[in-house]
Amino acid sequence: MNELEYLYIVIIAMAISTYITRLTPFILFSSGKESSMLNYIAKNTPPMVMMILVIYMLKDLNYLSSELLHTFIALAITIGFQLFKRNALLSIVAGTAIYMFFVQM
Amino acid sequence: MVRSALKTSLPIMFGFVPLGIAFGLLFQELGYPWFFATLMGIIVYAGAAQFMAIGFLSAGLGVLEIAMSTFFLNSRHMFYGLAFLESFGNWNLRKFYLIFGMTDETYALLTTIKVPEKYIKERFYLFITLFAQLYWVLGCTIGALSADILAFNTDGIEFAATALFVVLLIEQWIMVRRILPFTLGFIASIIALIFFVNHMLLIAIMISIASIVILRVIKIKNE
Repeated sequence: MNELEYLYIVIIAMAISTYITRLTPFILFSSGKESSMLNYIAKNTPPMVMMILVIYMLKDLNYLSSELLHTFIALAITIGFQLFKRNALLSIVAGTAIYMFFVQM
Repeated sequence: MVRSALKTSLPIMFGFVPLGIAFGLLFQELGYPWFFATLMGIIVYAGAAQFMAIGFLSAGLGVLEIAMSTFFLNSRHMFYGLAFLESFGNWNLRKFYLIFGMTDETYALLTTIKVPEKYIKERFYLFITLFAQLYWVLGCTIGALSADILAFNTDGIEFAATALFVVLLIEQWIMVRRILPFTLGFIASIIALIFFVNHMLLIAIMISIASIVILRVIKIKNE
């Protein structure tokens, strides 16, 4: 498998995975039957996954460098904006801009 | 109706175009031809998953792991459809496309707006969904192309993905407000980091789901 084939297959796999998640409720609930366990899993997955993803993104931080401080400041700005403005894009752009500023300084 | 839908969809433009550009710029760091960013915007059409894929692609992760991570990352979309079981109407091509286009942003907008009575709801939804994807594809393309043309210093832009997940985590907390799933996610992450650092994401998700099922079964048995 060469590099472009790999990329094509990844894109197709991601398209299918994404579509399945969006299609699932329409398939599951079209017949009107509900599974309480599936419901429970589905309800709890997003918060668990978000927590895992944040830790995943931060796991490679170098704890002995200035990167740690940059990341904490950028995180604080992202969290602060999100808590007070509730505008996802603004929070992301503000945090990323600060982080890029530190990294490129 | 098209003009009215276009106007209604504008808030999404302000979100999708810059975020798409950020994706396109970052994607170009991988060194693939620019149109792959456009292709992803067209057939995958998932912001967070596309950002995540950049890291996975550069690490050369397996297709199965990428597919599963995409699935779990997007598993929040499973609830989005619940709001539209009725209003997307009968099964036809339009409905398949409306489901395909169910991103966080379209979901938020479609659940917030009131469709003027003179318009057919599904068609109004269709145009908004279509415009939203157009903004996203446009952003991805502009980003990928300008990375080839301009030498823009993108060092640090990868933080956008971290920031996105932090934002979603906060939104999850505001929505859910139960400490259990967050604690389980945290513990599962730590266990996975200690024992399976190379497959941390997948293993942590599996541990957390297994543990929430076990806790649920124990709770039901005790009642």
